[in-house]
Amino acid sequence: MDSIVVANIRQRPIRALVSMIGVALGVSLVLLFTGLARGMSNDVERRSANVRAEIMFTRPGSQELISSMANLSTKYVEQLQQIEGVEAAVPMILYVFQSGRGFGIERVEGVDWAPFAEMNQMRIVAGRPPEAVDEVVIDQTKARNSKTTVGGMLQVFGKQPYRVVGIYAPESGARVKMSLAAMQDALEVTGKCTYILVRCRNTDEQVEVAQRIDRQLPGNRIQFTRDVMTNIERSIPYLGVFLRVLTGLAAVVSALVVMLAMYTTITERTSEIGILKALGASRRYIIVEIEKEALLISVIGCTLGFIVAICAGSLIHRTYGLMFEYGWAWAITAALIGTLGGALGALYPAVRAANLDPVTALSYE
Amino acid sequence: MKTILQAENLAKIYRVGSVDVHALRGVSLEAAEGDFVAIMGPSGCGKSTLLHLLGGLLTPSSGRILVDGEDLAAASDAERTDIRRRKIGFVFQRFNLFPTLTAEGNLRLAERIHARSNGGDDPARRREVLRLLRLEDKMHHKPLELSGGEQQRVALARAIVTRPAIILADEPTGNLDSENSQIVLSMLRELNERFGQTIVMITHNPEAAAVSRRIVHMRDGQITKSDR
Repeated sequence: MDSIVVANIRQRPIRALVSMIGVALGVSLVLLFTGLARGMSNDVERRSANVRAEIMFTRPGSQELISSMANLSTKYVEQLQQIEGVEAAVPMILYVFQSGRGFGIERVEGVDWAPFAEMNQMRIVAGRPPEAVDEVVIDQTKARNSKTTVGGMLQVFGKQPYRVVGIYAPESGARVKMSLAAMQDALEVTGKCTYILVRCRNTDEQVEVAQRIDRQLPGNRIQFTRDVMTNIERSIPYLGVFLRVLTGLAAVVSALVVMLAMYTTITERTSEIGILKALGASRRYIIVEIEKEALLISVIGCTLGFIVAICAGSLIHRTYGLMFEYGWAWAITAALIGTLGGALGALYPAVRAANLDPVTALSYE
Repeated sequence: MKTILQAENLAKIYRVGSVDVHALRGVSLEAAEGDFVAIMGPSGCGKSTLLHLLGGLLTPSSGRILVDGEDLAAASDAERTDIRRRKIGFVFQRFNLFPTLTAEGNLRLAERIHARSNGGDDPARRREVLRLLRLEDKMHHKPLELSGGEQQRVALARAIVTRPAIILADEPTGNLDSENSQIVLSMLRELNERFGQTIVMITHNPEAAAVSRRIVHMRDGQITKSDR
């Protein structure tokens, strides 16, 4: 490693550290936001994939990304079951509420366990299904994250305690489920549900079945479960734009922080630049030396950013249950942003230093 | 002896606001290989301007400067830098060492710039130069850990480590006490005799000038007298 570069960083450790933190901030923000978007998206996709029903029958507007309502009569279940091609219809209530920790949202489902489990090929791996109005079952991820076992208590609606009576697998939909009757009782929506899951006799005929349902029960919303992911992405239409803007901002932050630090450094080192010029250092040599220093700061800042992102992601996951999944593409993007942002930020101070008049620089106090 | 440094009718005019300040008015000077020239004169007489012009740190308003046959006045900024890198070593009154580097690090930096890349590493040469200047035990000290005399000796070592043909010394004893001044001056003389490098030194001090082979006197931007 070039000794003058390392010596300069050692000489001004606080400023070097602040610059590294600036770069780390940009890099960790990119990693955390993209990791969260990817983690949550993949989590929903995994859980949606375990829903075996092909069709969701619901009222328009009854289910949005962060809210839902129970405005669909359960009487539709019988009517759906009589439509040709329908094998089973199971009503569900989805209740979405803000997490008790004030960050993120949580979802609870009310289902009649036996038909729901049969339709989606789910099983209780510990304990039993929910029966009483104060009982819930949870999936294995929820059990692991909340360190809850069968017999433990869980607060679902506000501070209302629910007893965990079983743990189910595989994960599907909301991680906490209670009986449909208990949910209707809690929300005071007797005879209502949010949607009805419809399983077709023949999966290949789901489009025809959906058309039949639409003809016989018009005015309702018919959605294919395979489109759930698409709809979630549609629910956040500018997610991709947001991530790209965030990435750009991170690059600007990194570049500005490094530029400011290097600009100050150059001002302080004016007489040293004069010495370099007196020794015969070319403009290119001076620019390269300053860029090397900026790159070293940026690379350390990037490494710091990666560590911060992984630690913060892990902490947020443990505290709030949010999922983070880091992809190579975004990791490389973040690393490039940190290093190139730093290098570009240092370019102006470097060129300015290289253009200094040597006599003026040498006499600088 | 071959002429290594030649200044012909040099003029330098600084523009200060709307006023032209004539720092040099037609100065001509020659120095042969192995020469040791002291330039004396009162403050503001143009000594430093002349030294900066001879080192290619400034460009003259008119006149010619030949360094080993290469015309500094006609050269571009990059070409002047290159001539300086290959042929000139500087010693300054304020030492101008890199405070973050050790004595040896300062010498290595000069070697690296001289070699134009990460090459040019010559530990044997560095040791030889540091031994000659009685700095072997100070190799790993940073400038702030050295006395003024030691710092100036390191600056001297840095100036000669790349074997430049010409050493330009700007008041090298200006910041030293008399004892250290004598040490530095005797070393300059010894280096001049041993390596045959041409030295041009500006000074206020007649005792310092006395170690040179030739003294040039300046006043009001002109050479008024030259003694051998």
